[in-house]
Amino acid sequence: MSRIFAGNINSFNNLSNNIIFTAADNESKILTWLSPLEPQVRHQDIRDQRVDGIGSWLLETREFKDWYNGSEKKGSDNTALFCYGDPGVGKSYIRYGKPSVRNKR
Amino acid sequence: MAVACFYYDFASREAQSPTNMLGSLLKQLVSGLGAVPGEVEQKFRGHKRMIGGRGLRLADIVEMFATVSSSQRTFICVDALDECIPRHQLEVIDALGQIIQRSPNTRMFMTGRPHIRGVVERELGGGAISVSIKPKDHDIATYLRVRLRKDTSPEVMDSGLEDDIMKGIPGEASEAYVAVGGQGIFVSNILTSANLL
Repeated sequence: MSRIFAGNINSFNNLSNNIIFTAADNESKILTWLSPLEPQVRHQDIRDQRVDGIGSWLLETREFKDWYNGSEKKGSDNTALFCYGDPGVGKSYIRYGKPSVRNKR
Repeated sequence: MAVACFYYDFASREAQSPTNMLGSLLKQLVSGLGAVPGEVEQKFRGHKRMIGGRGLRLADIVEMFATVSSSQRTFICVDALDECIPRHQLEVIDALGQIIQRSPNTRMFMTGRPHIRGVVERELGGGAISVSIKPKDHDIATYLRVRLRKDTSPEVMDSGLEDDIMKGIPGEASEAYVAVGGQGIFVSNILTSANLL
């Protein structure tokens, strides 16, 4: 009797495992259908590169505060904050900056 | 609160189609919920029933966004909009505008080069505020210090040279650092400081 009962428990466990597996499988299919891209990878890279203190001045600007704290009324203003900046010549400057600074010495 | 981020990248621009990009934002929000909302699952099943299956359309994504973001404050961050293929730019910005209109809990943080500012402001109407990003000397000095600490040839560095770099570069290249680390570092810093990451 107890063996039969134990067998039932096992079959119930197997069944519930299958249900969990199917739900997870289904979710992963739906997520892949939504997009094959995995931006989390790039996101992690960016997070790893962060440097404390850079750009914190932006948080104090009226524009940022208006955007961050803005009302949630439908169609309200300030729902998007667009930060624009020109990459300019910085990359080359820093890359070759050391030798040119050294030449001045 | 939910946050979804997307980073445009020139090298991957072909794969970053409008549906893939907007779909990936939605995907992050859906996976954060713990369970797929009924509306999303229904749409998935409906599309599968079509002959050969039907791909997602932007209109579907905008619609599902409204459902998924209805119960919580949602932040969408899009980095380097200008690196999106030009023929896709308008389509993407228009869809982002529709998301803002239909998902009142949503706020959007975007970065890009100045030349696309006009398109962003026009497509998002009065909803967009633009801010010019000009790093302060303090930002540049902080960044330089970190870069110098990671120098791969520390043997050629001495304190005199380091002083020269620290004094010389911030003054001469006041807007340079955006290019050095890319705006990504800036974005990451802003988002973490604002407790969005």
